[in-house]
Amino acid sequence: MGAAVETHCPYCSLQCGMRLEGRRVPEVSAWEEFPVNRGALCRKGWSAAGLYGGRDRLTSPLVRDRETGEWSAVSWDDALDRVAAGFRAARADRGPDGVAVFGGGGLTNEKAYSLGKLARAALGTSQIDYNGRWCMSSAASAGIRAFGLDRGLPFPLADVEEADVLVLVGSNLAETMPPAARHLDRLRERGGRVVVVDPRRTPTADRADLTLQPVPGTDLALALGVLHLLVAGGAVEEDYLAARTTGWPEVRESVAAWWPERVERVTGIEAHELRAFAAMLAGSPRVMVLTARGAEQHSTGSDTVLAWINVALALGMVGKRGAGYGCLTGQGNGQGGREHGQKADQLPGYRRIDDPAARAHVAGVWGVDPDTLPGPGRSAYELLDALGTPGGPSALLVMGSNIVVSAPRATHVTERLESLDLLVVCDVVMSETAALADVVLPVTQWAEETGTMTNLEGRVVLRQRAITPPPGVRSDLDVIAGLASRLSSVPFSTDPEEVFAELGRASAGGPADYSAITYDRIRDEGGVFWGGERLFAESFAHPDGRARMYAVEHRGAAEQPCADYPVHLTTGRVLAQYQSGAQTRRVRSLPDDGPFIEVHPLLAARLGVDSGDPLRVSTRRGTMSAPARVVPTIRPDTVFVPFHWVGANRLTNDALDPASRMPEFKVCAARLARVEEVAQRPSPDPVARA
Amino acid sequence: MAAARLAESLVGADVRLTVLADEHHAPYNRILLSAVLEGTHPADALTLRSPAWFAAQGFELRLGARVLEIDRTASEVVLVDGERIAFDRLVLACGSIPSLPPVRGLVRRDGTLDPRVHPFRSLGDCHRLDAALGPLVEHGLSAGNAPRAVVVGGGLLGLQVARALSVRGVSTEVVEGADHLLARQLGPRAGAVLARDLRRLGTAVYTGARAVRLTDAGLHLDNGAVLSTDLVVLTAGGRPSTALARRAGLMVGRGVVVDRTLASVTDDRIHAIGDCAEHRRRTTGFVAPAWEQAEVLARVLRGEDAEYDGRRSVARLRATGLDVAVLGDAEGADGDVVEVTNPIAGSHRRLVLHGGRVVAAALVGNLSRVGLITQLYDRGTLLGPDEPGRLLLPEPADAPAPLPDDAEVCACAGVTAGEIRACSSMGECADVTRATTGCGGCADVVRRLVGTLSAAT
Repeated sequence: MGAAVETHCPYCSLQCGMRLEGRRVPEVSAWEEFPVNRGALCRKGWSAAGLYGGRDRLTSPLVRDRETGEWSAVSWDDALDRVAAGFRAARADRGPDGVAVFGGGGLTNEKAYSLGKLARAALGTSQIDYNGRWCMSSAASAGIRAFGLDRGLPFPLADVEEADVLVLVGSNLAETMPPAARHLDRLRERGGRVVVVDPRRTPTADRADLTLQPVPGTDLALALGVLHLLVAGGAVEEDYLAARTTGWPEVRESVAAWWPERVERVTGIEAHELRAFAAMLAGSPRVMVLTARGAEQHSTGSDTVLAWINVALALGMVGKRGAGYGCLTGQGNGQGGREHGQKADQLPGYRRIDDPAARAHVAGVWGVDPDTLPGPGRSAYELLDALGTPGGPSALLVMGSNIVVSAPRATHVTERLESLDLLVVCDVVMSETAALADVVLPVTQWAEETGTMTNLEGRVVLRQRAITPPPGVRSDLDVIAGLASRLSSVPFSTDPEEVFAELGRASAGGPADYSAITYDRIRDEGGVFWGGERLFAESFAHPDGRARMYAVEHRGAAEQPCADYPVHLTTGRVLAQYQSGAQTRRVRSLPDDGPFIEVHPLLAARLGVDSGDPLRVSTRRGTMSAPARVVPTIRPDTVFVPFHWVGANRLTNDALDPASRMPEFKVCAARLARVEEVAQRPSPDPVARA
Repeated sequence: MAAARLAESLVGADVRLTVLADEHHAPYNRILLSAVLEGTHPADALTLRSPAWFAAQGFELRLGARVLEIDRTASEVVLVDGERIAFDRLVLACGSIPSLPPVRGLVRRDGTLDPRVHPFRSLGDCHRLDAALGPLVEHGLSAGNAPRAVVVGGGLLGLQVARALSVRGVSTEVVEGADHLLARQLGPRAGAVLARDLRRLGTAVYTGARAVRLTDAGLHLDNGAVLSTDLVVLTAGGRPSTALARRAGLMVGRGVVVDRTLASVTDDRIHAIGDCAEHRRRTTGFVAPAWEQAEVLARVLRGEDAEYDGRRSVARLRATGLDVAVLGDAEGADGDVVEVTNPIAGSHRRLVLHGGRVVAAALVGNLSRVGLITQLYDRGTLLGPDEPGRLLLPEPADAPAPLPDDAEVCACAGVTAGEIRACSSMGECADVTRATTGCGGCADVVRRLVGTLSAAT
């Protein structure tokens, strides 16, 4: 392969275009023509080739002896036979739901589709979900309820530049997807303004005209307060609401009780700041509201998104160019991953698994009887929580996820994984989760394979194979087909383009219809949007064409600070790392300084710590130690821990959003202590709930 | 407002709920009446729950239904028109009623109020005052002199109304019988700072002065002053509405005396919430405790185990140009006082700490960190010894320091100041180091640094 291959970054949902050259360890260069990033990359993208050439790449299937804990290399056939036998045993023991499948939002569309098909058509299990449930599921749930359709951004990202006011709720895109931040600069050069809502004053907030730092878990109340002022100020587009929405009268009444001083007490946002914010929105022809994990990863996340959607609708913005509402999806294929059937309640094309017409259509494509397809299964956390319990699965296949690091209440989840009769993990390295497995299957990654991703805009892009995989590894598609052939007679292709064509047929007529998209079109058109480039200009996807507004109420975080756990803990990402760090922590040119605990100087003085001092943070679920990082940019009543290392998610709360089943990663109650003091302090009963 | 919150909290419960409201409006947000007067809110933005909402929940809302008496023997309430309505449980959420201050001349011989006099308690009052204001302002504009108003009462409501009137172009004076403003919430020094702020905004303040007589010449004060005026707005003297309870033989102190389940201590079928209730010898007059009582009572009525044990209160003045927040009893609370007063700048900031926790606070004229202080107060956070002082003082500005060579400037590409200084141009810098090619946020700093010498360290 002499010529450079056009492909996309291995990490986040921007899926920045890049060129790769070289057969074994590729060299990254800019692909200026690709519209999303126009050649810009962050250091994770520039250093992506560092994923190759490491010594700890797995190149042979491994099985672990439970007695001794020792690993031994086995052949692929042996490994797949063992897995198939284990799955058969679990099925015999517990029925089809005895086997569970756990996928990931980083898997290509082809893999996500095939994994869902494996579960439903070959294994017959309802027990499949994926880590995308922990990503943007609250926004997905809210988008479906409000608009009848969930596509993270219903417009190209570059439309951001056309807004007059851009409101970022819980997004730190300057660090988490740096090339996207260039749009903020162009927006501001044009005279537009940026508002950032985040308990931390992040590098994104450094580019904001207004920064609001609410108490974690109160973004919903903030939205209610904004809407209250918009109603009071007569800034609401009544004609738009009458023509294009339902539910407005009740929403309008529901915000009458949210005057600024009440909002101040709940959110900590001072009344004059809220008034300034509302005035900015009221006077602007184009307002765009974008939410991200900060607003969504809460037990009230889907209602929080609905509240912000209400703001955008009340202003008459949704469907208007350079305005509206969108969700900044996080994972590389966070969008496509939620469309093609690895979600517990879905079939390909974003169809509902409890819809008889959808079942009949998909079963037809798969050549199976619709009645053999299972119904909806458990959501991601509930699935993990059930593992090894009397009513739960006893065998689990994990693909594209490092659960031990990324699940909430991780100590408990790890125990559940350890209680399984069979844990199978497909991975490229011995991740923390693979290390617990009975069978580890070494798979190809990124530039070694071809497949499509759907980025945060709903643009389907093509990652093309650029280099030769190391001997001994197989693609996830091979693993899926290998297992399927041992467990059923349903045919599975291992060719990505064939799988994509089948996916297109399965999705045809569904909300996310890929049937008109081909690899050639993607190459020719710089990616292809499903559903069209811009949505909602004329109507919404509900049968009546209207958006639905829901009156939602502030409930607050499931766990509030108390005498024993007096501060809020929030978690998030740093620029140089990605998700559980299984990839980025192994790239030598990316700095890996380990986790830290970010505290405000007021809190640091209370604790008697300086930057660098060892600090321990504890919650009702776990504890971790890391150096303090004292910064004036965080709320004084809140601490922040990045989640790329083992530990942060031992602390997080498994309280779930009732609609999206999203765990409350973004806030819980915590206690801090200098490490040398820990031994002397009596520990409160970890089970007691305040 | 307490009744509306109770109804919201009873949605889906197995109850037949009838709401009797003597006002003719659906429940509305009384907190914002002065905002309607000021013009920042239209009156219809105050509606908390419309009649249609009550109907949709299967609740019966009867507007303009005035209750004459409670017949406890028959378990019925009697309306003024004689209709009787049976109850299993009765909730009194009657709020408070204005009591006319003892000022001669407020009421004319025929028993009606002098047309200049306006109580300010309900939406009806607000509309009447607004209607009177319109022609006065218009006439004032054409005559070149502003209409004049005297607000009787220098409490939260009085100050909000006074500011609203000023914003509307009315020349306003405030009369307060106590020797400083917000006497129920603030001490004399804070009150003095506030009075100064108010005067700066053009409103005259008379403290330690009582209105005694209204004549054609104006409002006479007991200090001899006569305030010539077009309007007299009464905001003082609200008291819990307890007449029904008293006549029904329920124990009444300042309000209807209730226990921890918000039931009357005389008759446990009858509850009281909000301004008309007296719990642990206290009545509140604030919306937050009224709502909490409504939520607790809803749980009690659903048969759950729930108790009301009092609550921390926050009084927050909503008045353009006047900044006041009072948390708890900032004057009476027991504890150590940390206080910063700067009458020159017009600020008074006071924290009361007990056992290292903020148990009360008053912030006047400078609300900096009010959101955080409220959180610390509401959550009872244990503070360090220096923290109260630091909370009250201005936040230190981040001082920009010259960047050392090893400081990271471009986080996207991981480029230090030294590496950028080694480049001769922006273009070279982008090519060699990739700085500025990611998010672009470092471009300004890079432009300053390229080709310069290292910072002296």
